[in-house]
Amino acid sequence: MTPLHRLGAIAALMIAASVLPHSASAADAKDKATMAGMAGMGKKIRVELGSSAAFAKDGQLLAVAKQGDHLLLYRSGDQGTHWSSPVIVNARPEAISGDGENRPKIAFAQDGGVLISWTKPLGKPNSGEVRLARSDDGGASFAPPITVHRDRQEITHRFETMVAGGDGRIYLAWIDKRDLESAKAAKNPYRGAAIYAAVSEDGGRSFKPEVKIADHSCECCRIAGAVDSDGAPLFLWRHVFEPNERDHALVKLRTDGTPARVERATFDRWKVDGCPHHGPALAVAPDGTRHAVWFNQKNGEGRAFYGRLVAGGVEGQRIVGGEQAARADIAIAGHRMAILWKEYDGERTQLHAEISEDGGASFKRLALGAANGASDHPRVISFGKELFAYWRTELEGMRAFRLP
Amino acid sequence: MKRLVLISLLLACTAAFATTFIALDRKSARMLTDKATHTAPTIVALWSTDCPHCKTNLGLFANMVKADASLRLITVAVEPLSAEVAASLDRSKVPGKRYVYGADAPEAIAFALDSKWRGELPRTLLFDGHGNRVAISGTVDRASTRKSLGLTDKR
Repeated sequence: MTPLHRLGAIAALMIAASVLPHSASAADAKDKATMAGMAGMGKKIRVELGSSAAFAKDGQLLAVAKQGDHLLLYRSGDQGTHWSSPVIVNARPEAISGDGENRPKIAFAQDGGVLISWTKPLGKPNSGEVRLARSDDGGASFAPPITVHRDRQEITHRFETMVAGGDGRIYLAWIDKRDLESAKAAKNPYRGAAIYAAVSEDGGRSFKPEVKIADHSCECCRIAGAVDSDGAPLFLWRHVFEPNERDHALVKLRTDGTPARVERATFDRWKVDGCPHHGPALAVAPDGTRHAVWFNQKNGEGRAFYGRLVAGGVEGQRIVGGEQAARADIAIAGHRMAILWKEYDGERTQLHAEISEDGGASFKRLALGAANGASDHPRVISFGKELFAYWRTELEGMRAFRLP
Repeated sequence: MKRLVLISLLLACTAAFATTFIALDRKSARMLTDKATHTAPTIVALWSTDCPHCKTNLGLFANMVKADASLRLITVAVEPLSAEVAASLDRSKVPGKRYVYGADAPEAIAFALDSKWRGELPRTLLFDGHGNRVAISGTVDRASTRKSLGLTDKR
């Protein structure tokens, strides 16, 4: 090692040390040390903050996050103020995607099973498998994970989203490049990627063969999932409409996972041969109204939007937050709806919310806090009639804010 | 004061060579994309390993630099350093100084690079070397890129 190389390695170690997050557990500290040691060997320096949280029926808040090659499940009995020592989800280590757009997910089966899904990157660039692990004891231990899809090519099966349907079935949808790869091999053009989905009828223990939902999705934006007022799963994703308009498409799945009808959901007509890397969010009100937030460029400016998705159009579309508003999420609990987003102010990342109690006709705005370091996308979660903001940040760890 | 931190990366998988990357923080990012920094035609290409369209642009820029020695190319991977970052650039034989995101908050680095940029990739900043900067999202073509760089097209 030359003196320059040695200096570089030391600098890398110093960087690694300076970005380490306040730990949620002792396991984090161990992971930090491992990551710092690997910094000079080309491993990523920064901890991936992508995380999900959900309330179990008993009011316990569960959160899942990545540490190295393991997913850890944390539990809070006081709505996110204190967290338990974590439970390891995947006993056998494996690669895990843990960024905000492609984070681990958490859902509950009707029989109380705790389900964790994630993307496992494979050897080739942008390749991956959709994985799912189930716990029969409320998250105290997990069965070995399964791969959800039958297709085992070393290609993209990534950015999965999980919906526990009102009928007890578990639905997963993801971005899949098998059709793109076939087209490439045949030297045919193919726009974007595809969306595939698979259904489980046994609470996530096994999945039926996957089916194609739509050709021509965007390649690396998160997919939004929600349960429709009749209990059926809805998925909303960024699509590539001809020739290159990166608007959103919405689908309702039948119980066998096949698509009822794929509809265009937004009409901003952002024409770009590029990757927004910024997916939407969707929530359905008890009256069936579909409320969404998304990011698009419209009239030359990239902004976060809110609107109600109706057949052939968007009702009440408006800009959310300021010029830097990003990563908006939305959820509904009873008659209350919350939109949450983060916004960099030139120094820090601010967390904002808007609450509506009249079905989206009017909103009141709240400032929830700020982060000095890196931060995950914020999420709105619900428990009964209450709404919470959940946000994992580099320096503060995992936090939940009750939305008044 | 030196703001740029050099990271030398000895790639475990391709141990035959070592590549130098420079880790950005918000101050070095601001300097890198300041109009006054560039006194010659310069492309600053923001890209990531996740972005298929970025490869198209990087391939074009590599060719443009090969054909015109007066043109400078700087690449910025908007992610932390990994073996895949280096391998992607090497596969496409992309020349020029190589930057990656460092320890600073990604939001802060992104804002400092280009406050109008909202994270979409590829994002390309074109400097003509005379104080003008043009920012473009998505894939670009050679002719309009050369025009924004203040270069006359050779026929």
